[in-house]
Amino acid sequence: MTDLPDRITLNEWDRRYAELSRAGLREPDYGGCLRRHVDDGDTRLLSLRMDNSAASLRLWNFLLTEEDRLRKAREEGKLLVGTLKDLGTVPVMVYSMKNAVAFYPDGAWWIPCIMERNAKLLEIADSLGIDDSFCPVRAMLGAFVSQAHFPIPDLLICSVGATCDDLSAIAQRLDAMGHPVHWWEIPFRRAPDPGEESVALPGIFLAPHDQVAFVRKELERVREILQDRAGLALSDADLAAGIGRANRVRSLLDRLRETVFAASPAPLPALEMLIAEMLAIHFCSDQNECMAVLESLLAEATKRAGAGVGPLPEDAARIFWVNPVADLRVMNMLEDAGGRVCGTEYLFSHALDRIPEGIVPMEALARAALADPMAGSPVDRAERICHDIGRFGAEAVVVSSIPGASHCALEGTIIGDIVRRRLALPILEIEVPPITDSQEPTLRTRLEALVETARSRRAGIP
Amino acid sequence: MIRVGYFSPFVPPEWIAAHGACPEWLTLDGTASHAFNATHRGVCPCAGAIAARTMDDFALDAMVLTTACDQMRYAAAYLDTVGKIPVFLLNVPSTWQSLQVRQLYREELERLGRFLTEIGGREPRGGELESIILGYDQRRSAALEARAKVSARQWQETLVGLRSDPLGLAPHQPKAGQARNPTFMNMSAPCAEVANKDSKTRARMEAAGPTSSRALQTGIPLALVGGPLMTEDRSFLAMLEQVGGRIVLDASEGGERTLPATVDGRRLREDPLEELVRIYFDSIPDVFRRPNSHLYEWLGEHLKAHAVRGIILRRYLFCDLWHAESHRLRQWSEVPVLDMDVIAGDEGESRRVLGRIEAFLEMLR
Ligand code: SF4
Ligand code: SF4
Repeated sequence: MTDLPDRITLNEWDRRYAELSRAGLREPDYGGCLRRHVDDGDTRLLSLRMDNSAASLRLWNFLLTEEDRLRKAREEGKLLVGTLKDLGTVPVMVYSMKNAVAFYPDGAWWIPCIMERNAKLLEIADSLGIDDSFCPVRAMLGAFVSQAHFPIPDLLICSVGATCDDLSAIAQRLDAMGHPVHWWEIPFRRAPDPGEESVALPGIFLAPHDQVAFVRKELERVREILQDRAGLALSDADLAAGIGRANRVRSLLDRLRETVFAASPAPLPALEMLIAEMLAIHFCSDQNECMAVLESLLAEATKRAGAGVGPLPEDAARIFWVNPVADLRVMNMLEDAGGRVCGTEYLFSHALDRIPEGIVPMEALARAALADPMAGSPVDRAERICHDIGRFGAEAVVVSSIPGASHCALEGTIIGDIVRRRLALPILEIEVPPITDSQEPTLRTRLEALVETARSRRAGIP
Repeated sequence: MIRVGYFSPFVPPEWIAAHGACPEWLTLDGTASHAFNATHRGVCPCAGAIAARTMDDFALDAMVLTTACDQMRYAAAYLDTVGKIPVFLLNVPSTWQSLQVRQLYREELERLGRFLTEIGGREPRGGELESIILGYDQRRSAALEARAKVSARQWQETLVGLRSDPLGLAPHQPKAGQARNPTFMNMSAPCAEVANKDSKTRARMEAAGPTSSRALQTGIPLALVGGPLMTEDRSFLAMLEQVGGRIVLDASEGGERTLPATVDGRRLREDPLEELVRIYFDSIPDVFRRPNSHLYEWLGEHLKAHAVRGIILRRYLFCDLWHAESHRLRQWSEVPVLDMDVIAGDEGESRRVLGRIEAFLEMLR
């Protein structure tokens, strides 16, 4: 058995799994061979190349067994809270309660990719008038109708206001279809006026004190609903402890990103890093296990970085990636084209930043919620991207737009212009649908051209 | 006097006028939007038209947009980066259940007031806000009284005037050396006409053209629901009447659905700004509100009151908010719904639209 890092296919993983098992692999209760997920319908795995470490195996298994955990939570009588849109804040509150579990039904976004449209969720959405002029989050509507993916939550809590139209419109449809939604308002984050009292948010933004106070009151409404429905008090002490746990996840991720994005060659591929980042938003329905998964990934990345090995070539072009990809395979494609990811802004950077501790918990959560890149101007978002590019030293930027997403029509232009002006980096804007197979030659050529440009600039060729 | 463009029913023109500025409800040009959208795929034609208009109109001093939809927020950011004129983004909360969102809206109006003062307006003088609110309210009431007697096209034009400067507070002069663009002229004409002339307004409305008069008496009563109309859509309204329809309820973004509530004199005297919050934020039913149950309540009440026999849902391509309601509206409505997705400024569009409307009316006959 070779332990050299590599990106391998599912067939290769079958062999690798047998080898690891023979070598004494110890797995959690959700462990097993990746092949079984294909048998359950996750057929996109057949087209992916995945990292060959035991840590990555655990990550994939953790991701792909979330529905089982949710069903178990229901059997145990826990309150299932479907949180919509805020990406990272309300779950911290929910996981501060002993008898509640939060998850994002919007995570159905990826089902048409993972299941290669076999689940027919988009077709259900079509039949309800939500066609492909909406982003892939429309799959969520299909999942609520088919009830074949996640258990229907006991409570739905959705942030609205400075959020995307796609989700707001679809959540409104859910509400009208008999899935009552508790709405809370996230205001558009504006720059403080001269002389106005301001508050530093996690990350790099400032917000007017009054806006933070507003969000705090909105989150108090959320707290009341949670207490009411869970039948338990959610004290400040509970919240402080919950924030502490969330921060442990965030700091693990921060160390993982630092280790992977700074090292050369990259110790872990982009695909596994994307999934690891996604864990931060709701811990994939098990906070303790989420930490264990991240710890093992960090250990693997640290070991590989120390040994100077990784699954990608050392001279891979360093790419900063903006927005999550609807088709996970595109992360492979970038690497096949000679690139590697060394910085990301997947629309939830606020879920990666540490939540302030040592202050009133609701104040801390309000600051975290308001730091959402989507709650502010895309100009702010571009600033954050420039800041993070500086942190990890990218040579080029990919803005991957999401088909149908209301924010994508103009944000690429705005972000692209600012990054170009400020950092003079080459930028590529691509659109990634849930399945890219038919566009693969074009996408690949464009990514190769970007990589080529980045490399020639490295060599001093303009 | 500075001219301030806006395009959301949640921006009270009274507030702009009380700050010594001339509010201007923008009439949008679909052709300009078409050009903008050709280079920015996925932008709703309306947001595209706003962006194009702001960049091309040399008579505007500032623009007020709102957070009512994502597309508008991004258009505001885009215009901010272009930096041609100051853009103010008014935070209009989507929710309405808590007192604090009302308070946020009020504070946003106050912030807008400061912005207007900074860019060349001034603070309202004693009693001025109250009298302006009252003046606008009287013009709206007068227009609503005459509503049934005018064609859909005239009604839209009248509303543009009512949402701009119906009191004639602004001297309508282009800046030196700058030509007013034609759409602006179109828009300001009814505005000036309405100013201080209630009886004249009525008379003008009653003097509808021959096609409209016939249609007003015999056409099939319809409701127009959906987003805003553009300049070119006026001919769509005329066309609709010519083929036998009659818009008795204009629930489009620029129609009577989004007019503010009637002013309460006592409340107005007590706190004019609070009264603005009440007549705008508390009262206007719109698609982006969460939940948007008021929209359906309003429609339910008015469809019945006007004996509407069919609904035309007119929504723009890439407008998720109205698009998502289409299926729900069809299920909810007791009368047939014609769902029309439109792309502004498209030459072939009017033929397609005409054909669909004729078929719809045929079905209703
Ligand atoms: S992809 Fe964009 S538009 Fe779609 S749900 Fe996510 S944030 Fe909203
Ligand atoms: S038409 Fe729809 S998307 Fe366009 S600006 Fe209006 S609400 Fe927004």
